[in-house]
Amino acid sequence: MIEVNQVTKRFGSFVAVDNLTFAIQPGEVLGLLGENGAGKTTTMRMMATVLQPTSGDITVDGFSVSRQSMQVRRRIGLLFGGDVGLYGRLTARENISYFGMLYGMEERALSERIIQLSRTLQMEEYLDRRVSGFSRGMKQKVAIARSLVHDPAVILLDEPTTGLDVSAASVFRRLIADLRQAGKTILFSSHNMGEVEKLCDRVVIMHRGRLRFVGSIAELKQRYRLDDLDDLFMRVVGGEHDE
Amino acid sequence: MNRRQIWLVFRKEFIDLLRDRKTWIGAFVIPLVVIPLLFLLIGSSMSSVEEEARSDIPLVVLGKADQPLVEQLLAQPGTRLVQTDEPLALLEQAEVRAVLELPDDVEQKLSRGETIKLTLWYDPSNQKSAYARDVVGQAIDRYEQQVVAERLNAVGLSTRAIQPIETSVKSVASDERLTGSMLASIIPLMLVISLASGGIPAATDLVAGEKERGTLEALIATPVAPKNMLTAKLFAVMLMSGISALASLISLSSVLAFAPFGMDQVEYSLGFLNPVTIALLLVMLLLLAALFAGVELTISTMAKSFKEAQTYMTPVVFGAMVPAYMMLPLNPADVPLAYYLLPVFNGMAIFKEVFYGTVDALHALLAIASSLVYVVAAIAVAARFFQRENLLVK
Ligand SMILES: Nc1ncnc2c1ncn2[C@@H]1O[C@H](COP(=O)(O)OP(=O)(O)OP(=O)(O)O)[C@@H](O)[C@H]1O
Ligand SMILES: [Mg+2]
Repeated sequence: MIEVNQVTKRFGSFVAVDNLTFAIQPGEVLGLLGENGAGKTTTMRMMATVLQPTSGDITVDGFSVSRQSMQVRRRIGLLFGGDVGLYGRLTARENISYFGMLYGMEERALSERIIQLSRTLQMEEYLDRRVSGFSRGMKQKVAIARSLVHDPAVILLDEPTTGLDVSAASVFRRLIADLRQAGKTILFSSHNMGEVEKLCDRVVIMHRGRLRFVGSIAELKQRYRLDDLDDLFMRVVGGEHDE
Repeated sequence: MNRRQIWLVFRKEFIDLLRDRKTWIGAFVIPLVVIPLLFLLIGSSMSSVEEEARSDIPLVVLGKADQPLVEQLLAQPGTRLVQTDEPLALLEQAEVRAVLELPDDVEQKLSRGETIKLTLWYDPSNQKSAYARDVVGQAIDRYEQQVVAERLNAVGLSTRAIQPIETSVKSVASDERLTGSMLASIIPLMLVISLASGGIPAATDLVAGEKERGTLEALIATPVAPKNMLTAKLFAVMLMSGISALASLISLSSVLAFAPFGMDQVEYSLGFLNPVTIALLLVMLLLLAALFAGVELTISTMAKSFKEAQTYMTPVVFGAMVPAYMMLPLNPADVPLAYYLLPVFNGMAIFKEVFYGTVDALHALLAIASSLVYVVAAIAVAARFFQRENLLVK
């Protein structure tokens, strides 16, 4: 579904992503791991066509992000964690609906979709209130609904559980499970190894822009003969001098 | 160009801006607060100075006070005598308005046919003193005329003998021109300044603000081409600056129509407005709004933060104020032809012509053509900066 092919991204002389190659199968949930500054967000931004690869290419459902960006964008929903970008002076419904319309949705289908999403995310109560007064978790839910409103085949989630409390995080995990059931392809980045193990079929571990590991957690455990997830992670990213 | 997308973005931006107090303050503070306040302040301070100058005129007379000339002087409304040993010091301290020195025997000297010498001191740096000088001067003139009439009478002549020429001065300006000349100097200034300042909060919010709040990233990942997004944002900024300009126009017109000071003689008239001048006015407003919107959106896009954008916006207002003030005293007939080709100057010049009722087809053409070039250039620059990669750099 997504093929990353020898992708490099430079900012000036700084190499943020270095000759990265991996693929995500349709219906797969892939975890993207790496320390701060490893290049996870940059990679996802290139998939979402908001950044152009300096060299190499990425295809989404066969469409090139550099040459067929419009087709790619229609197939992608994205959610950037950290600071969730919402319009504070608009209500939750208006925020979601704006993006739905920008993705070309019809008004009827859109309003039904919003009702359905707000039920799933348990946010009906504050659907018509202005976002500026929302708590972190409430905003995060609105942002999730916004990224799913056009029912994209591919979902990119950059640290989606940052700032969510335990119950919101569990609502979110159930949502991921549902989306996987529905056959969506999901890429999500995280610093939480436990969460990644629970949700993902496979993981990609990046370090300083380079690919360090791609495969299932089970394979990872087997390769390094370690069971503790955090130790494993440290082994993979810290093992620079071993290779 | 995708009209539906442009409309969607524009509508959202407008609703968003409508709910933003900052934008409204920016758009309306000059037209609805600054302009009326300015006029009220000028008007009331002018009329209160005049009022005081008229109602109380303390004077010092050096010499005998009980003689006809002084009595005639004191018959003027508001005048009163002040006794003092230091008349000139009091005048400098503005305690008295004028000091008149005269001989004790004015009557006798005049009746002997002599010329008497008077000295009148006043303080030209004090408006009220200047008014007092006029009042005293007029009283003396009148007294002098009486003496002249008596003397002529004594030798059997009428006063007409010393008045061989009588001139009456008449104005060729119609009421419209008069109103126009007043409007023509103030309205273009206010229009240009409010066009420049009215869109600033919107332009700042729509790119730098979105960047800072993190909404821009999600927006540019949608299937909306950057040029459509920019077009919609440009229209939103233009609308805000247009609203601001229109509010200025209405506010100024009503302030002038109900002017509480010294303009009562001039009947307020909008006779200089006709379909052609209105169309020209609107076209120029639109072009200037587009130029300012293009420049402001470029700044907003280049700025790394909301604060930085706000800082860089200030020079835009100066860029509008300088030509506006430079052209303020000019009559349209004195505007150099080159001004019709310079940005902002051309708008000012055309606004002046419209409000003077002296629109010139060649001038209009030059101004519109050159403005179009500037607008296209400004929007091209804005579009160059409004690219995905730039928008994400924080
Ligand atoms: N627009 C940009 N201009 C210049 N450098 C950038 C830009 N975006 C990212 N970088 C740099 O590229 C590197 C990778 O950044 P990226 O945001 O992809 O890391 P990340 O893996 O998402 O980190 P984190 O876990 O902290 O979110 C960092 O060193 C960052 O400073
Ligand atoms: Mg990141």
